[in-house]
Formats: sequence, C-alpha cells, structure tokens
Amino acid sequence: MIRPTKNSVTTRRDLLAGYGFISPWLIGFLILTLYPICASLYYSFCDYRVLSPPHWVGLRNYTELFTDKDYFLPSLWNTMFMFLELPIALALSVGIALLLNQKLKGMVFFRTLCYLPSVVPTVASAILWLWLLNPEYGLVNATLKMLHIPTTSWLQSPIWAKPAFIILDLWAVGGGIVIYLAALQGVPQHLYEAADLDGAGPWRKTWNITLPAISPVIFFNAILGIIATFQYFTQTFLLTNGGPANSTLFYALFLYQNAFQYFRMGYASAMAWVLFAITALATVIVFKSSARLVYYEGGDN
Amino acid sequence: MKLNKTVRQLSLFAAIAFGTTLPTGCKVEIQSRAEDVHLQVWTMWNGQEEKNILAVFARYHELHPNIFIENHGGLLDDTKTIRAIVANVPPDLCTLTDPLVLGPLAANNALLPLDDLLNTETYKESDFVPASLKQCRFKGRLYAMPYLIDCTALFWNKKLFKEAGLDPERPPSTMEELQQYAKKLTKVENNEIAILGLQPLTDVMPILCVFGGRLTDPSEKNVTVNSEKMTEGMSWYLETVKAMGGYEKVNAFSSGFGQAQSANNPFFVGKVAMMVSGEWIPFWTTKYSSNLDYGVAALPPPANHPERTGTTWLGGNMFAIPRASKHVKEAKEILIWMQSEEAQTLLAKLNNNVPNQLSVLGSPELRQGEPYKKKFSVFLDLAKSKNAEYFPAIPVSGLLNGELLNARDVVLNLEKSPKQALNDTQARVQRELGRYP
Repeated sequence: MIRPTKNSVTTRRDLLAGYGFISPWLIGFLILTLYPICASLYYSFCDYRVLSPPHWVGLRNYTELFTDKDYFLPSLWNTMFMFLELPIALALSVGIALLLNQKLKGMVFFRTLCYLPSVVPTVASAILWLWLLNPEYGLVNATLKMLHIPTTSWLQSPIWAKPAFIILDLWAVGGGIVIYLAALQGVPQHLYEAADLDGAGPWRKTWNITLPAISPVIFFNAILGIIATFQYFTQTFLLTNGGPANSTLFYALFLYQNAFQYFRMGYASAMAWVLFAITALATVIVFKSSARLVYYEGGDN
Repeated sequence: MKLNKTVRQLSLFAAIAFGTTLPTGCKVEIQSRAEDVHLQVWTMWNGQEEKNILAVFARYHELHPNIFIENHGGLLDDTKTIRAIVANVPPDLCTLTDPLVLGPLAANNALLPLDDLLNTETYKESDFVPASLKQCRFKGRLYAMPYLIDCTALFWNKKLFKEAGLDPERPPSTMEELQQYAKKLTKVENNEIAILGLQPLTDVMPILCVFGGRLTDPSEKNVTVNSEKMTEGMSWYLETVKAMGGYEKVNAFSSGFGQAQSANNPFFVGKVAMMVSGEWIPFWTTKYSSNLDYGVAALPPPANHPERTGTTWLGGNMFAIPRASKHVKEAKEILIWMQSEEAQTLLAKLNNNVPNQLSVLGSPELRQGEPYKKKFSVFLDLAKSKNAEYFPAIPVSGLLNGELLNARDVVLNLEKSPKQALNDTQARVQRELGRYP
C-alpha cells in the first residue's frame, strides 16, 4: 500500500505539472478572454469613449437601448428574421446527408461536391454572391429572366435583402452535411435489420430509426445555429453594411458601429451583454422544450 | 538522457542564432549618427499614391539629411492609430484617413494642438483656404494640418446631353433645373433604367450644403441637422431620385456600377449622365476614358438663393501629431514644410489634389500644360469660393455622419418624411453631443 503522504505529494506534483503545461493557454484565457469579458460588464454601466477613462452612468446605456425604437428593435427583428434559415438549413442538410449516405458507386464524388462550398472562405463566397445576386448582371436574375420568373434587386431591395442572405448562407450548408453524415454512419445496423424483419419501408425506417438516432446531432447543430444567427455579422458587414434603409442592420453590426465607428464603447458593451442574455435565454428555452425529443442511446428514454 | 540531449541541442541552436544576429544589430548602431532622427509616420495612401507620398518624403530627406521618415502606408483603418494612441505607443505623425475621427480624438485630448504653427513669420491664418483650416479646428484650437484638399463639382456628359435634346455647353443653372435634367437624362428601356440622369450620392452633404444646410451652428455646440435648409435639400434629393424611377430601381441599377477608379466608372462608360465628384476625375479621364466629352462646373444654386453660387463641399488630407509623439519638433517642421509652395505643388501634381495654400492655387504649373488641367482648374477656383463648406470637427462626428446617411436611406425608402427623419437624427445626435463638456 502506498503511504498517503507520498500519494498527495505525487498528486500535487502532477497537478502543478499539469497547470504548468496548460499555463500558456490559461494565462491567455485569463488576460485575453476572462478579463475583457469582466471589463465589458463594467463598461456597460459607463460612458466609455475608448480614448478617455470610463465614467459610471449606472443603467443609462441599458435604458437607452431598450427605448431605442429606430435601431435596437429593428436590428433585433432583422436578426430574428434570419432564424428562418435554421429549419431550412436543417431540412436541407439532413436531407442531402440521407441521400449521400446511400451505398452507391461514386458517392465520394458527390460528398466532395456538397462539401466544396464550405471550403471557400466566408469573405470570398460573400463577394462571389455579390456578383451572382447583382440585379443587373447577376447569374441569379439572368436565370430567373430566362424562366420568365419576376426578378428582384436582392441585396439592393429592403424587402429581399434578408432572404438574399439566407440563400447565400444555404450555399455553404455542406459543413452541416458532413456532421450529419458522420452521425448517420453511426446508426446501429441491427435496428434496420430488425425493422426489415418487421416489414418496415424506407420512410418508416427514416422516421422511426434514423432521425431519432441522429437527434442529438440535430439538436447540437440547432443550438450552434441559434448562437451563430444571433452573431450574424460578416456577410452584412461586407456586402450591405446594414443597408438598404437598415433592412440588414443586424444586431452584431449595430454593436460594431457603436463600438468602433461612433466610439460608444459603453453602449456597445451593454448591447453585448443584452445579446448574451438573449442568446442564453434562447438556448435554455430550446434545451427545456426539445430535450425530450432528443434520444440518447443508453439514456432513460 | 534523451530529453537533456534535445535541450542541449536547442540551447546550442539558440546561442548560434543569437550570436549571428548580434553583429547585424551593431551595424545599424554604427551607421546611425547622433543627430539622426527616425520619424515614424503612418499614412493612409497605398498603390501609386503611396509612391507619390514617398517621393514627397524623399524630397524632405534631401533637404534635411538627418531626418529619416519611416512611412507605414496603406493605413485604411483609423482605429489602428487609435489603439496605438490608447496603448501610448503612437506614431510621431499620422494622417487621419477618415477626417471624422478628428473630433473624437481632439475631444479626448489625444492630439497635440498646433496653433503655434500659425501666426508665425512663415505662415499666417490668411494664407490658407479658410475651410481647410476650419475643418481641422476643435473648439477653436487647431488639431490637424491640411496637406492638400478635395472639392466637389458637377460633371456632365456632353454626348448624353445632346441625345436628350439639351445644350451640351450649358450645365443646369439652378437646382430645380438640375432636377429636371436628371429626369430628362434618365433613359428607361423595357421598364428598366438604361441611363441614370444623376449618379446617386454616397455622401449627401455636397447637395445639402448647396441649399445652405449646415451640420452645426457656429459655436459647434449644437447640431442643426433638422434646419429648414437641410430639410429643403433632403426633399430635393428625394424628389430627384423619385423622378429617376425611385429608390429601389435606382439602387438596383447602381449596383451594376464598376469601380470609380477604373475604366468602368459609370460616368466614363455613359451609364450616368451627371455626377457630383471631385478634382481627381479630370486626370482619371486621361487614364481611363480619353475620348469622353464632358463638362465640369460648380453645382448650381437653388433658384431663390443666387447667393449660394459656387458652393463646394471641401474635404482633404489631414496630418496630426499624437500627444505622445516622440519627435514633436521634427513632426511640426515637416507640417510647416508641407505648406511651402514646393511641397504643395509637388503632391498636387502627383496626386492631382487641390493645394490648401491660397497663393499656390494660381500656380501656372498646376493650371497649364496637359489638356485636362483646364478642367482641374475649375476646382482650384472653387477652393477659393466663400461658399466652400466642410464637416465640422465635433466629438460625435462619426455618429452624425452615420445618422445622416441613415436618414437619407429612410427618406428615400419613403419610411419617414425628410422633416421627420432629420428631426429624429437631430434628437439622437444632440443628446450624444450634450454629454461632452
């Protein structure tokens, strides 16, 4: 038997070595992540213009934010609109993943094809879509014209700009497909064999076996999607900068403008914390409401 | 032990690497003399314009061999300078890429006042284009120095004028007439715009100031965005865009425009018949569209305000010295030299911008020679106009500009009336401005 004292010395030494090895990350986390997060909470109660020290104004930034009917609510609404993308992206990526999961010859080629758009950096694909959606010369409108379907000015139209962003994002749905595909490969074969014996058709098998089996992955992707949607920024920053007429002024873009263009860092910090609260709330709601729809192997239900 | 061996090898490598760098480090020390000054200068220019400013700095070094200007060009984002200022490691001298950051920087005590550069034996206030200095002042003190300015004017395509049945030699004489022209010159084919009468404005102030609109009162303590004159100007723009087919159509057509600094500039290719732009266009036409038949003149006044004749919107390059600059004396000397006839003419010729020294505006070197210089001269004359307006340096200038552009969009999209939109802008910007002492 090892003596307790020796044991604790070894443990402590291991512990120190462990911390020693992760210290580069730990120090980076404390200085570059944790401290700014805490500081931004403090700044959100301050009038802070970056160039001069912050001074305390209490809840002013928050009251101003909630009473701003011209920017805060529209930017939140614009962001909410983008949630339409989630179910579409989900259906599309699960659907394509199911197709790509068939055991056919040359499937590797199609899998690569579907994933390819996700390899293109966001900035490059955004610029590419700027051209595709160009009302004058764009391929999208040219195709619609050929099919005698009415065209629109997409990113230049206050009504169609947000749907245009949804289309743009759906193009890169391949990232999700790969994750679903991996999940599909993990579905136990014996379940399908049992279903075959019971005479179940392909629809029945998909609905009763495949989807429940990959539901944790769907759930995980949905949560990530919610968080990403609240932070929607890059595409609009590059392509529309909030326009036309604020129709693509998303919450994160408005936050950026306040922080870095108007030097209202206190106000922007308050915005960030409100966004954090909203995101956390939305995630909790989704967790509470859909947890029973998610099936975990070995779990109780 | 294996690990120890690796460590030994690594330290040996480090020692060799360190040893080999030492001699080179010393070499620089030996070359450098005590009187030498290495000046860190951050500038906004890139491409050909960066080469031009380097030529200017090279000339300065020729005149002052002990001054070495280390230029960091292509600074398109002022927040980089701001971060350096906050971190207390600013450049010795810098340009303000976006003049709108001057107000916030000055209001927060980040820049050195430069009033002592004026009223000396060398330069007096009256030597400068008045607006060029006014835009560099915050609460009466000078926080930046202009080195060349920009002016706006109206360009028109003579061929398209002829096709629309207008006299190609006569630009519109009132803003009302300009609106009619914009409508007349707009060509619609199959329910789509083929030629636009007037290119949509990225910045509305060049138009609003023609109506006498000003962003602040003379004290610069109150914004005056919702004045009668501003509203009148915004209404004019709304009606003009409506006359050309409305916001969405005009917007859709404009999205097909090529880059301004290219052969695809919509004015060069005849997609727009008129545009409001600056003094760089005449030179650009020689590069990108040498056969273009066009005219240039000041924007006309409104019919009932003939006193607004010769209105131009003035902007330009600003140099500032951060408060923590390590070489204030040398930086100031460069700023003074930049006002000399030689420096003004040198960059004006290279970059085709307008000098901010009144005495240099008449320089034959800038007005004579290549054919395009005749049109360039229009801007040299406009700079002297008593109706040259500018963006005042106030602590909330970024917000003011953003809000104003947003008001324009909201008005054009028919969400709010010009009066309503400008009232809302006024309220929001004034509230923020009121928070500064």
